[in-house]
Amino acid sequence: MSDTTKEGFYSVYEVFSKKTDKAPLQHQFSLLAPNEEMALIMARENFFRRESVADIWVVKRNNIRSMTQEERETLKRLDDKDYRETKGYGYLKKKWRKYQQEQFTEENLLSDSKGGKAE
Amino acid sequence: MTQDKALVELLYSLADDDFILAYRGSEWLGLAPHIEEDVAYSSINQDMMGHATRLYRILEELGEGKADEISHLRKPEQFRNAILLEERNGEGTYLEKPDFDWAFAVVRNYFYTVHKKIRMESLRKSSYEPLKDTALKVSIELQYHLMHWDMWFKQLMTSTDEAKRRMTSAIERCWIEMNGVLSLGPMADEMTSKGYVASEEDMREKWLTHMKKTFEEINAPFPKRLAMSKGNGRQGEHTEDLKTALQTLSEVYETNPTAGW
Amino acid sequence: MTIETTFDRLTEEEKYEHFLNRIDAGEKIEPNDWMPDDYRQSLIRLISMHGISEIMGALPEKEWVPKAPSLHRKLAIMAKVQDEMGHGQLLLRVAEDLMEPLGKNREDIMQDLFSGRLKFHNVFHMKAPTWGDAGIIAWLVDGAAIISQSMMLNSSYGPYARALKRICAEEVFHAQHGESIIMALAEGTPEQRELLQDSLNRWWTALLMFFGPKAKENASTSHVDKNMRYKIREKTNEELRQEFFTKYVPRIWSLGLTIPDETIHFDEEQGLWVYQDPDWSEFKQIVTGNGPQSKERLELREVSYENNRWVREALNPTAKAI
Repeated sequence: MSDTTKEGFYSVYEVFSKKTDKAPLQHQFSLLAPNEEMALIMARENFFRRESVADIWVVKRNNIRSMTQEERETLKRLDDKDYRETKGYGYLKKKWRKYQQEQFTEENLLSDSKGGKAE
Repeated sequence: MTQDKALVELLYSLADDDFILAYRGSEWLGLAPHIEEDVAYSSINQDMMGHATRLYRILEELGEGKADEISHLRKPEQFRNAILLEERNGEGTYLEKPDFDWAFAVVRNYFYTVHKKIRMESLRKSSYEPLKDTALKVSIELQYHLMHWDMWFKQLMTSTDEAKRRMTSAIERCWIEMNGVLSLGPMADEMTSKGYVASEEDMREKWLTHMKKTFEEINAPFPKRLAMSKGNGRQGEHTEDLKTALQTLSEVYETNPTAGW
Repeated sequence: MTIETTFDRLTEEEKYEHFLNRIDAGEKIEPNDWMPDDYRQSLIRLISMHGISEIMGALPEKEWVPKAPSLHRKLAIMAKVQDEMGHGQLLLRVAEDLMEPLGKNREDIMQDLFSGRLKFHNVFHMKAPTWGDAGIIAWLVDGAAIISQSMMLNSSYGPYARALKRICAEEVFHAQHGESIIMALAEGTPEQRELLQDSLNRWWTALLMFFGPKAKENASTSHVDKNMRYKIREKTNEELRQEFFTKYVPRIWSLGLTIPDETIHFDEEQGLWVYQDPDWSEFKQIVTGNGPQSKERLELREVSYENNRWVREALNPTAKAI
């Protein structure tokens, strides 16, 4: 009870922004505001007085489900999953060489124009 | 000295409006309702002071004197700002017991910014190129100012009874001086006929239309007739408030205007 | 939906050890992480004081905002004081998040400030009667603040380090703003130079005091030790003061200004600056809230905060629902 009544004017909003149209959304900081309209308007001058910004999001912190320290422990895992990563397939390089072929690099694979082209 | 008095008068009124209101805003620095707003409000004041500086520079090029000189050394009767914009923020001073009125700050800035937007839209078509350029640049920053004051105005007007009471009395106070802001002064006809700026009547209508929409939206009674009670700043009529403001803002510069600061 | 993991089953001692290991490994502690009470208390004390000092520190400088002697100076000092408020915002947010589990928020910080429970950097709350003071504050007071802030850029507390990173980026502009003001005065008329020298004389002692006493027996140094163990700060008061001398004394001299301490010099043998200690008993007086202008500035803050109470009440979403 005391939480909601006390918060009031000083509600916490998390501020996210995009530097350019193409950039991913990034967390910036937080601010206090009584509602989201004001949070949005305050965000610009509080955090982007000098840097350029293409878009701003504000989210009331209460609406964010974040992890507890205990839960973050679940993010840990053993480093034994080579089969999921390229480093588990390093031997292929040698194999292809046997057939006088270069192994594809990431660039070859992801770009179809380049991938098909012979060097 | 330039020959075109109407142009010079117009430039002074535009520059002085921004300069004086930005000055009043700068007195608020550190004293706003919350820290986040302090930061946001200060940006707006900086922008306005920046706009005034651009306009003073145009006057400088027209031979009126250096921008710093004309902003800091003119006598009160040479200022062309509207009286509403020079009025104190409240009782006390920014240095001692500042009994400042946030409702007055919100209403005055909101009314002024709506008018400034209308004025800038007209100036974007001005026959005087430097003014046209300036209006284009100023308009970019004005969007944020308008959004900011619109938010404050509407939120406070739709909140508690006390806020409504304070806002209503600030509205009354601004309404009876607002004609001074909307006025182009004694040379209005020449300013308009030369294509520098739209007519006073046209801009007043636009302002009233905007306000009617706002008041309808928040379900507030629309005030009666606009007035200009304390005189017309466009012809050099001012109050004590401007005099003391000018003393403060030129206090250091005046000690030696030729020195580098 | 909390998932019980190994961390939950640790005893308090094991948690403490786990925490110290994280600190030693250079990991950053985040707001919702387990932390010992004294770590939280140290951070709250340090960061709320830092934050409120920025807010209060804006006031002496702000006196010069409307009076700045040109359009350019008016704009620049407005931007600078605005940044101070902005820094206060960042830091108070960090402190507020630390206080949240204790059921406190910004309202409490403000009330603690008004009641005198929350201290700020009183040493800088002196009269600032001339434009020279605006220059000295921006150049040296800020210079001192930058030195003490940047040592905490690697703070073990993640949010503090991130806030400081933002702050320090802006301090570079502040430093140049200050240099530009004092340079104009130093190269100006004899009256302008005198203005500058007077201000330097006025602020020198406060600058020395700002870093705090070096003596071990002083009460506040135990905080310093603890803060260093927890990697909240990295240097002692005296190390910071020496850094300040190294950075600024040669510059002050190069401008032909006189430092109001005839004894100050660099001792090559010790590799240290030797200087006249300020009166530390006076310092004790000042830090307990008796800065020459502390009361006036606090009153300014309080009057405006109370004046605007109706605004915060009007927009309080919980009050509106009633």
